[in-house]
Amino acid sequence: MPSEPDDSGMDQFVAEARAFLDANATRRAHTSDEVVWGEGEDRITYFSTDPPEVEAAKVAAAKAWQKVRYSNGFGWITGPSEFGGRGLSSLHDLVYDGLETEYDVPDTAVLSLIGLGMIGPTILAHGSEELKRRYLPAMYAGDIIACQLFSEPGAGSDLAGVTTRAVRDGDGWLLSGQKVWTSVAHHAAIGLALCRTDPDKPKHKGITAFVVDMSAPGVDIRPLQQMTGGAEFNEVFLTDVRVPDDHRLGPVDGGWGVALTTLMNERASVGGEGAGPAARAVALPFLTELLRANGRLDDAAARRRLAELYADQAATEYLNHQALRRYRAGQQPGPEASVSKLMYAQNLTRGAHLAAEIVGPRLVADTGEWGTFAWTELLLATPALRILGGTEEIMKNILAERVLGLPKEPSIDTKSPFRELRRSGRAEA
Amino acid sequence: MSTGTTTDADVTRAEASDAELTELRTAVRDFLSSKADEAAVRAAVGSERGYDDKVWAQIAAELGLPALALPTAYGGDGYGLVELSVVIGEMGRVLLPSPFFSTVVLAATAIVASGDAGAAERLLPGIAAGATTATFTVPNRAGSWEPDAGTLGVHVNGSGAEVVLEGTAPLVVEGGTADVALIVADSPAGPTLYEVDMTTAGVSRTTLRGLDLTRRIARVDFRDVPARLVGEPGGAAPVVARVLDVATTALAAEQVGGARACLETATAYAKERMQFGRPIGSFQAVKHKCADMLTRVQVADAAANEAARAVDGVPASPDPGVAAAVAHAVCSEAFMAVAAENIQVHGGIGFTWEHSAHLYYRRAKASQLLFGGPAVYYERLLHRAGVGPLRTA
Repeated sequence: MPSEPDDSGMDQFVAEARAFLDANATRRAHTSDEVVWGEGEDRITYFSTDPPEVEAAKVAAAKAWQKVRYSNGFGWITGPSEFGGRGLSSLHDLVYDGLETEYDVPDTAVLSLIGLGMIGPTILAHGSEELKRRYLPAMYAGDIIACQLFSEPGAGSDLAGVTTRAVRDGDGWLLSGQKVWTSVAHHAAIGLALCRTDPDKPKHKGITAFVVDMSAPGVDIRPLQQMTGGAEFNEVFLTDVRVPDDHRLGPVDGGWGVALTTLMNERASVGGEGAGPAARAVALPFLTELLRANGRLDDAAARRRLAELYADQAATEYLNHQALRRYRAGQQPGPEASVSKLMYAQNLTRGAHLAAEIVGPRLVADTGEWGTFAWTELLLATPALRILGGTEEIMKNILAERVLGLPKEPSIDTKSPFRELRRSGRAEA
Repeated sequence: MSTGTTTDADVTRAEASDAELTELRTAVRDFLSSKADEAAVRAAVGSERGYDDKVWAQIAAELGLPALALPTAYGGDGYGLVELSVVIGEMGRVLLPSPFFSTVVLAATAIVASGDAGAAERLLPGIAAGATTATFTVPNRAGSWEPDAGTLGVHVNGSGAEVVLEGTAPLVVEGGTADVALIVADSPAGPTLYEVDMTTAGVSRTTLRGLDLTRRIARVDFRDVPARLVGEPGGAAPVVARVLDVATTALAAEQVGGARACLETATAYAKERMQFGRPIGSFQAVKHKCADMLTRVQVADAAANEAARAVDGVPASPDPGVAAAVAHAVCSEAFMAVAAENIQVHGGIGFTWEHSAHLYYRRAKASQLLFGGPAVYYERLLHRAGVGPLRTA
């Protein structure tokens, strides 16, 4: 038998989780994937397109459900008990997540994707005791949301090129610069900011990380309207924002190590089997009904595209199953998450374009017909899937260099002082 | 003579632990690296039979591999596709020319699936011991493996147990050397499985010039050849369906082994080949090719593993017909793409006869087409997944 990690008490944990969920949530009624064409919500989308009042209600529901989880010991299963965690393994976490999918509960991604998944572990690893006590229980209890102030207009794939400055100011720091692509900033109480503290050092060695109060004077959050028309992300302008030194994470000029902790905790949020309204775009039953409803089920070319997409999507799901099995057997994770992210983005893109071909001119303008114009949302969202969380090009570099051991490009930017480097949006010296 | 039945469900499948699977992989890899390096493979390709008889004998006698996934009642070890896939993956990795696939995967699966205990008693112990080589063919004139009445190139004359076969099987895997063939032939009862002793007078075999140098294909002509009924008259269809699930799953493992070898060869070359003063693998154009190859291999590997588990009936695995069809499509496409890119990463040297790249490219294309090719396997996938058949006007 494969060597299992210590699962002692798992049965009891499952029973306890089941009892908690039964008492606090409703089990999903339908598990069948039978599709009735023309019935149900006419939306196929990846990004949220809710109006502000609906979005606010969903955030409130997410916070409330996280609070219930936390009060019952399921809010931070892997966290240390002194900060309100349960002190259990990642496997317990995974098992709980699996159980919860059987119930109708509010989607807590607004809290968990960035804040609890990435920022929390970073504060835990690098924060002072005071900082951890102050923020971790509040975050995992659903009281506050955290965001990630990393990317900038001039620092995308090359994150170590951040130019937001932090300069000493008495017993604190003054932060100035612009961040971009900041999800959930408009709901966030705190943000983790990467700032340039010494431009005379090489790029990776002059960065410092801070926890920023998003309500502090000088923080200006502006929604960033995407090509879909919605505004899922924000631009965050920092103008002389004062941050006390006890809100620094890690050593001065040691922020790159902090950033790596965050990035390592970045879950393959685009990978996975994809719940929600976008999953239809790669689901065989839904796509089969799409072909049938449009009289194309006997079109050999359309069938071929459907089968090719289905083969790759099924294999991507098999890859996820395998990763989970290996994880449960206590094996080191392989490159499955990166591969899964690449595949899922490509599969969703293909699903959107297959649907567009089937729907034809009825995708060009909204005729009101169910299952036609609705595809535009996903069609407009899919380019982002190949960019966010690491562009395809960067993902491929990582796979080639870390998994296959291919040599890096000769670097011309890691030794010289940061201020001497050529950068976008700056006059040449 | 025997109408007793035997099915997979009659026996509990033996199951290897992860550690045992690793041990099995290491044992097979060590054996093949000493007995089937590239020079040995090329020598076998040039030999009369197309494979090294001594290596085949050792695979049976020393490693006991033909017995691995055969039922224990007939001299086998009772393991399943999960274990067999490890062996076949290693064979695919070095492109071992061998009657293993035709004998153990195609023929033995057909015998077991037929439920004919007499045929199993007669044939499986010899196969398990490596004493008998065999093959299985659906002599569809279009090469599709569909056992449809009226499309088969071989038919029976006579009735009952005393029949003779007439006709031509156009593409028989290792048909030039197999001792025994299981053949689906048209009979009055419909497509039916028969067993033929390939050394009988009236069997004439012609090994064909092949795209894949490491797996031989023969045309077999039958003129008034006595044949034995296997299973029920008219009962070939479910046997063929089962053989296709098992064989495409095993082939998927073989394709992943070959694809992985191509990825490793390309990666190693990208690290050592210097141009413009640096290894070519440091250029993103080359690096991204290698990353794409890795992605395909990872996904293909997962598909092959999942299919093996599904066909073995491991709990919580997907429908075996669907998983096998997914694996066949994904692994066929992956091996072909990776074998082609391997040549591109190598540049001119990859286009030479001396380089191994073309041997993999040949195997990749031939194995992609072996059971009908993309047009067939994508339709089979839709069929297995419950989408209705294509109706042509």
